[in-house]
Amino acid sequence: DSPTQYERVGADVTMKCGSMDWDAAVTWTANGTDIDESHLNGSYLILKNVDLSQSGQYSCYEGSSWHLKYQTYLRVGTPPKEPVLMCRSNNYPKGFYCSWHLPTPTYIPNTFNISVIHGTKDMVCEKDAVPKNRCHIRYLQLFSTVKYKVTLTVTNPLGKNYTTLTFDEFAIVKPDPPESVVAKPVPNNPRRLEVSWQNPSSWPDPESFPLKFFLRYRPLILDQWQHVELSDGTSHTITDAYAGKEYIIQVAAKDNDIGTWSDWSVAVHATPWTEEPKHLTTEAQITETTSASTSSFMAPPTTKICDKGAVVGSGAVAVCWTAGLVVAAYSVLFI
Amino acid sequence: MAAADSPSAALRRRDLCSRGIRLAGKMRADVVDLLDTYVEQQGLDASATVAAVEGVPLAAVERWDEQTGTQRLLENLAAYRAFRALLAQMLEEQREQLGEADAGLGRALAAVLLQVSAFAYHLEELLRLESRGIPGEEEDGPPPPPRLSLFEQKLRGLGVLRELAQWALRSARDLRQLAKPSPATGTAPGLAESP
Repeated sequence: DSPTQYERVGADVTMKCGSMDWDAAVTWTANGTDIDESHLNGSYLILKNVDLSQSGQYSCYEGSSWHLKYQTYLRVGTPPKEPVLMCRSNNYPKGFYCSWHLPTPTYIPNTFNISVIHGTKDMVCEKDAVPKNRCHIRYLQLFSTVKYKVTLTVTNPLGKNYTTLTFDEFAIVKPDPPESVVAKPVPNNPRRLEVSWQNPSSWPDPESFPLKFFLRYRPLILDQWQHVELSDGTSHTITDAYAGKEYIIQVAAKDNDIGTWSDWSVAVHATPWTEEPKHLTTEAQITETTSASTSSFMAPPTTKICDKGAVVGSGAVAVCWTAGLVVAAYSVLFI
Repeated sequence: MAAADSPSAALRRRDLCSRGIRLAGKMRADVVDLLDTYVEQQGLDASATVAAVEGVPLAAVERWDEQTGTQRLLENLAAYRAFRALLAQMLEEQREQLGEADAGLGRALAAVLLQVSAFAYHLEELLRLESRGIPGEEEDGPPPPPRLSLFEQKLRGLGVLRELAQWALRSARDLRQLAKPSPATGTAPGLAESP
């Protein structure tokens, strides 16, 4: 394996052909392709203002014998910028995790080293297998007023950088969003929607560390959200929905006492119950009496609720789709 | 007195725990507000690190989840008794130093002191319910602390209020643990065990 040489983007790079004299006749190649003599100064290869595309394997051969005299792998990159570090506890009171990334790529390998200090005590942040840029710590103490100090250092062959976060135990508590959010219409209630959800599964002890919730909802046709804060329970009935309008609903969670709100849950959609239009009932009755002779369609029951009230048509023609049932075909009636 | 694990005692315990949780929540909110006022009026830096001061009970605890109910109650009671004395001292120092100039701060301190006293009494009620002897308070009290400079007094006050805010948080959690029914006997976990 040839050695690796790291150079900064924009640098001027001079490569010597091993122990060959300056005036020796040599041929340089880059990834197997001959390099033009204009880049040579004697037997030295001169690369000015290198860019990322010039990374690769460089080889130097003695002119006549074509013996390989020198080989290196050039990697062009940058020293690391200040890394971005985030620490959060989504499983309070068990512990917290820190994750990091670089704001811009360096294009060469980087090593990250994290240190966590609580008062005078060094703590070990155990690296996660997946994702790689994350580690976790168990709280050894709870309710401490002593801050945690986390320092992340990033090093690569071209330089190093670091960042530090200092925080209180309770300041970084942010649960994951609620799970399994479900919204359903309430039969015979055109302005209600029943919403239920579950505590995030990552929250270890909701009984001792209860969560409170924030629900937001709006009809798809409007931009403004309605908000409701709920101090307990994992369900809520919306009672002021616009009849017949499809709603989008989300829920967020927060520890009852400390920390910040979770991100919003996955959005769910629901439309309040709507009464079946009366003229549809009439047509259904007519269709029912003639169904013996026209077996190509099946009349829906008169009390059937349309889940997604897609009622289309004009004049006396109406179509109602019900989930899981065979599509009914209607004949056009002339009034 | 009802046996510690009788249904009426269990109900009474749950009621005391619920009220205690609400008291602790209100106390914490008031202490946090008081902290903001205190920092501003004392001309302190809110992010200043205050070293642990002798006599201020630290809320930090290891293996919190393994504590018995009795341990929780006794540690809480000891802490709030200490805070009662510390806040009374802070109030006196306030009055000596500033008189009328910080009447608002004085009133806020007095209100928190009242809540701390009430909470300590609440904890004593819980201990009585468990037929636990209530540890007596030292008759002579702790020895008077050495006279601190004005700045040292202010920093100690900051430390006291910060720890009290954490204690109020811990107390709510402790009482929730106490309020949990034990799966086997229906009593709160840990209370049947001796310290």
